[in-house]
Amino acid sequence: MFSRLGNNAARSAALQSRNYATLRDIETRLKSIKNIEKITNTMKIVASTRLSKAERAKNTARTYIANDREVYSHAETAPIETEEKSNLLIVVSSDKGLCGSIHSQIAKAARNRINELNGQKVDVIAIGDKVKTQINRTHSENLVLAFNGIGKETPTFTDAALISDEILKQGKEYSNVEVFYNKFVSGVSFEPTANPIFDAASIEQSPALSQYELDQDAKVPATLAEYSLANAIYSALADGYASEVSARRNAMDNASKNAGDMITKYSILYNRTRQAVITNELVDIITGASSLD
Amino acid sequence: MFRLNALKNVSRQSQIIAKRTYAEVATSDVLKLSLALPHETLFSSATVTQVNVPGANGDFGILANHVPIVEQLRPGIVQITESSGNVKEFFVSGGFATVQPGSTLSITAVEAFEPTAFSPESIKSQLAEAQKNVSSSDEAVAAKAAIQVEVLEALQAIAK
Repeated sequence: MFSRLGNNAARSAALQSRNYATLRDIETRLKSIKNIEKITNTMKIVASTRLSKAERAKNTARTYIANDREVYSHAETAPIETEEKSNLLIVVSSDKGLCGSIHSQIAKAARNRINELNGQKVDVIAIGDKVKTQINRTHSENLVLAFNGIGKETPTFTDAALISDEILKQGKEYSNVEVFYNKFVSGVSFEPTANPIFDAASIEQSPALSQYELDQDAKVPATLAEYSLANAIYSALADGYASEVSARRNAMDNASKNAGDMITKYSILYNRTRQAVITNELVDIITGASSLD
Repeated sequence: MFRLNALKNVSRQSQIIAKRTYAEVATSDVLKLSLALPHETLFSSATVTQVNVPGANGDFGILANHVPIVEQLRPGIVQITESSGNVKEFFVSGGFATVQPGSTLSITAVEAFEPTAFSPESIKSQLAEAQKNVSSSDEAVAAKAAIQVEVLEALQAIAK
């Protein structure tokens, strides 16, 4: 029986020491949450300042690509129907995370498209590390080329030109080329979108191309196709960058809010625990003092 | 009463048709220009009188009702006569000019600057540098230099 009593005493001592430790635990926890809040808040501010520039780039890129694509809509250009189809998906994303579901959504869209083209030859070119790892996880055999170092700054035409140059260097012919990117819809939403890219052969065989005067001997369709590839990649980069920055701003805004909530919760818990510890100590002191009387 | 209603409807419809044809005639008499760069939009469906572009097969002027054409651009001046009579000039290093059916001209270029924005001294020094590299044994370097020479020579002709 006495031994059991001793057991109890040991337990209460442990409980008490744990009580003190919890107070310190809460304190360190609170400090780290405060630091996290500072970081997320700063990231949010950085994203907000970048957003206006990114949106401007997105708007000019959209006008640019609209002008570029107008000839295809008038000429009713479409991918050539062939017996053996080969597809190329260019998936545009970026290297950096902490921006919500933006990378996983574009990877999901690409994955769905690969499954949809089941049985056909599908090659994937990933632009950005995040989407590369995601595609690699499920469809590593389809991945032929990957780029990184994208999305640090507002994309420029030079980036797009270098990427399209590398793609052309591969020297493979595809019957269908699509570029996947996150289309900026509004400050709070984006939409994974696919745009077709046409090669020289499909431009030449466009049903309504005859209404245009065009120098076929000077390889204008080939030049136009290469130029359009760079343009499509540029506009995808610009649109994707704008969506990413705005998604990051929202994600960081939410993170800061959550951190704020947690700070209030833990501050209350901290104060309560501290008060409880003081009360316990007082009780101990008073009991001790009164026992001396 | 029904007949009256029907008549009204018919007259309304004919009015709409009349309006539509009028609008179409009005738009086909003017040239709409869009001059877009990747990072900037210089003209967006602006009404202009005439545009002279440096095509790969020679310079040509575009007025309203020009035949649809797809033309590659070589380095040179795009000259735009606005409907107010003002003439604006932009030097482009290359791109595409496309006249769409319906008198819309879209020019897409990678870069475009006003001729006054260039400094003749730096053109001269860069041209000398590029001409040195044209005869390089490295094919890539030589090809790059040949393009540089083409652009810079065109620039030298316009920058004073």
